[in-house]
Amino acid sequence: MALPQLIAEDIREFDRVLGDLVSRSEASAALIIDKAGFLIAQTGDFSEFDSTTLAALAAGTYAATQGMASVISEPNFTCVYQQGENLSLLVRNVDLETLMVVVFKAHVSVGAVKYFSNTCVPQLALQFQAASQRNPNGKLDLAMMNMEDSSGFFRKVADES
Amino acid sequence: MAIINQATKELQVKIVYYGPALGGKTTNLVQVHEHVQTAEGHKGKLVSLATSSDRTLFFDFLPIEAMAIKGFKTKFQLYTVPGQVIYNTTRQLVLRGVDGIVFVADSQYEKMEENVKSFQNLEENLKTLDLDLSEIPFVLQYNKRDLPSAAPVEYMEFLLNNRDVQVPSFGATAHKCQGVFETLNMITRMLLHKFINESNRVKQLV
Repeated sequence: MALPQLIAEDIREFDRVLGDLVSRSEASAALIIDKAGFLIAQTGDFSEFDSTTLAALAAGTYAATQGMASVISEPNFTCVYQQGENLSLLVRNVDLETLMVVVFKAHVSVGAVKYFSNTCVPQLALQFQAASQRNPNGKLDLAMMNMEDSSGFFRKVADES
Repeated sequence: MAIINQATKELQVKIVYYGPALGGKTTNLVQVHEHVQTAEGHKGKLVSLATSSDRTLFFDFLPIEAMAIKGFKTKFQLYTVPGQVIYNTTRQLVLRGVDGIVFVADSQYEKMEENVKSFQNLEENLKTLDLDLSEIPFVLQYNKRDLPSAAPVEYMEFLLNNRDVQVPSFGATAHKCQGVFETLNMITRMLLHKFINESNRVKQLV
């Protein structure tokens, strides 16, 4: 129940699948996120919004809908759709750990986005599965990390400390 | 569980501020957001999903990047949970994928029962996620030390930090930004040490 370690090959495949989805469905942007709210990969135009925050909020929204599903004894809601005046948003389940978020112009049909995402979600899930099987025990490799000053990861601005 | 992206040399970590209602969890994040020194563009927006009276409804969220780690881009996601008892399901949702916990206790004598109940609630909620507090880095913060009714630190230690392995604890006056960065830096240090130890263990196994 944890995300596998991702390598360049995985990210390339995610980018390819998301890019394909964005161009076919005429969506503005697409993201892969973890259900804890982490951003994994993104494609498209992010000049108008902050993808890190969007990832956290989308994961929260999806989790809340799962809570509602449980309250009404529905086994699963696999997607969340929000229609807006200018932009709309679709969050879809990929696998146990991950979600896909698609942002698209309001005039783009949600049916088209759902249709094209139907083929890309299994491809993403397959890539995550491949990553898990690549090295099921090796989830961490922080050899590059060098904590040069472990006393000050975060510092107050100078004139206030 | 943290995300490690070897392709982009990026580590993403989730820290949750937990504790009783009105204890100062959101104030911690507000102070970090206002006073943290970061490189250009490394501090995200503080998002608060709160009621009209500024009580946390779902969570507060602050993405931020640490300064002092070479080799990996280390992104921290700071969350708070709603402290009020009725929002327990929401707290469980926010705890999903947590890597480190800051328990913000209210130092006032009259809040001790709430502190203890909130702590028990944290342990119960972690169990529902198959997590155990003894395996997750966590620190205690005794907030509101400036109030006249603040209980002695020793008493709070006895109530909340009375176990085989004691965790680091900090007195704080969050609204004056006292103790806020000390707490955050300690949980960060504990988290990164845990990751590095795990990383070394995995290497030995391979």
